[in-house]
Amino acid sequence: MPVDSPPAPQPPLVLDTLANPGLPSDECPRRARIQLDLLLLAIEALDLGGSEAMLGTARDLGLEGLVKGRVHLWLLRGTNPMRRYSQRQPLNIEEAKALVIIICTLARRLTVVVRQLLVGYQQLSDKQLSPEHHFRLADYLSRFRSHFRARMNPRRAGVIAYSSDEKLDELALQLLQELLLCAGVLGPQRLWNSLFDGEVS
Amino acid sequence: MTVQRQYTLPHCNLVLEGLSADANDPLSPLAVLMNAECHLPGATDATLAGGREFLDSLVTAVSRYGQQLLSGVPHPRTTGSAPPMVEIKPGDLPYHHHLIVQQQPLGDRVNDVNALPPLDIQLTTVQFYDLMEAVDQLLADTQTLPDMKAQFQAVSRRLVRPTEPMTKRAAPAALGAAALAAAGLALFFVPPPEFEPTRPESEASAPAAASAVPGEPPRADGEETSEAVAANGDDLDRLEGAPAITDAATIALLQSDVTQRLQEAWADAPRPSGDLAYRMAVSEDSDILGYQYENDLALEEVDNTPLPELTFVPVAGAEPVRERVAQFVATFTPDGEVRLEPTEAPAETDASEADTSEADTSEADAAELPALEDKVTDGDRIRELNSDLYDSILAELEPLSANEDLRFRVRLTETGEVVGYEPVNAAAGLLANETPLPNLVTAADSTANQADFQVVFTESGVLEVNPWDGWPQ
Repeated sequence: MPVDSPPAPQPPLVLDTLANPGLPSDECPRRARIQLDLLLLAIEALDLGGSEAMLGTARDLGLEGLVKGRVHLWLLRGTNPMRRYSQRQPLNIEEAKALVIIICTLARRLTVVVRQLLVGYQQLSDKQLSPEHHFRLADYLSRFRSHFRARMNPRRAGVIAYSSDEKLDELALQLLQELLLCAGVLGPQRLWNSLFDGEVS
Repeated sequence: MTVQRQYTLPHCNLVLEGLSADANDPLSPLAVLMNAECHLPGATDATLAGGREFLDSLVTAVSRYGQQLLSGVPHPRTTGSAPPMVEIKPGDLPYHHHLIVQQQPLGDRVNDVNALPPLDIQLTTVQFYDLMEAVDQLLADTQTLPDMKAQFQAVSRRLVRPTEPMTKRAAPAALGAAALAAAGLALFFVPPPEFEPTRPESEASAPAAASAVPGEPPRADGEETSEAVAANGDDLDRLEGAPAITDAATIALLQSDVTQRLQEAWADAPRPSGDLAYRMAVSEDSDILGYQYENDLALEEVDNTPLPELTFVPVAGAEPVRERVAQFVATFTPDGEVRLEPTEAPAETDASEADTSEADTSEADAAELPALEDKVTDGDRIRELNSDLYDSILAELEPLSANEDLRFRVRLTETGEVVGYEPVNAAAGLLANETPLPNLVTAADSTANQADFQVVFTESGVLEVNPWDGWPQ
């Protein structure tokens, strides 16, 4: 029966769509923590109000129990080992689920922009032009670079790999593509399962 | 009743045709899928079409590839099975993807004649996203094909190929092993360090000091112990502590004497094939106390030389030699000659050779003092002796050429006569003759109670005298 508006999702219902991956422990693997934080970083670079939007989304989806405000969100993102102020505490599965839902919701909102940027990049690279010729794309890339450099610990081996502008641009475009793939109907499930590729037994 | 369901996106149009389960309800799900068509405007003009098998294959390929793009971990194809109808692979350029569809002629069995090459469609990321989204919407739609559900599964660890090839992962271990081997090979050519046992300082100097006091008669057992050397014949270690004979005339005399004796004793022995060189120590009365081979041939031929016979065989123990010795290098040549050359004299003896008379006295006085046996114990007497010594030295003190402190140990009898003195530092040994000390020695052979004092001529010309054992209480 068609309804005018979807019922307000309860936190367990939102998270129930994501099956537990069957890891030996309740903690997220390293690659998942990096991936989630980088996707959030890309969202911030795309949308100036990104960090506010993350908190707003968490509130709208009733995830305040898992993402308890700005500082807690910062702590959760700090579980990324590449961070300057990396947290030693683990990211547990439920918190990771909440981050996945937030990322996918924001990615869906930003779908139009992401598509434009990717189409623009595709056209530029077909003509063998650099991304600087696309105003919004260049804007996104430079903002991503400055976010990345401001927050990541330059002495970490994982960060040294991105020391040049070209490498960072490549990472930013890669994340843009991933955001688009997250934006679909089944985006959350796809992203969630991809986090544990090669980690489950 | 035939139903058509359509999922439309900018770059993808997925159309499903089938029979409705319930003819009266337009929203009832499809009971049978008859045809699935996929148009990809912008990417290709061809229409991808097929039945349920094609659709299943398309869904699986798209889902897996979408997940692979997110995680970077490729989903391995089960080996041995036939290639799936639909396959998606990453393109050569970044953000290009290849959709490969095996084409199958309708209604015919595949054979060599009518087989078609697979269709290879290049998709951009956005085009792929639209295809994926169309498939996802179909999967999420419970009113079209409810039996088709999204099947997401993380790739198992066992199926993932390591990102680095075996050779690359083995490289660090191999490098380590190679470095170890190289280091081992390099160190193989380095000779093992030679260990030369050295006598502790105190052991070496104490007996030498005991024998060299001026005026003290040679100890009765001195000669016996000194000959202890020759027990092994070729061992000069015990002679290292012995004081050297520094008088050039004595050395020359010893040289000719020993040469003559060796020459006579060696007259009828077989001649060696090469020079035999031995380092030897000779006492003042031209006894050979010990010898040591200088070359390998000398070691082999040692029994053909008169050395073992002529060497003094000691009576007791391997005690250090206390006698004064001269060191020579004896060379037995193949021509039957014996050459004897003194080894280099120590530097300090050069000076004393230049002025024999002065050197003799100063050497005798400045030699090391024996351990004090009968000490003066009266504190007042020590104080008096100290001030007397100070006065007597100061009376004759002239400016010294030293550029550092000269430190002496001076021994006095209870009555105030100087028994002897001993330089404590090297500069004091060299410049002893500039000080008034040699002229103050008056009672070299006194056996009365004695006391030691430290006398320091500082660099700035200040004289300091104080009791060796500290001021009495």
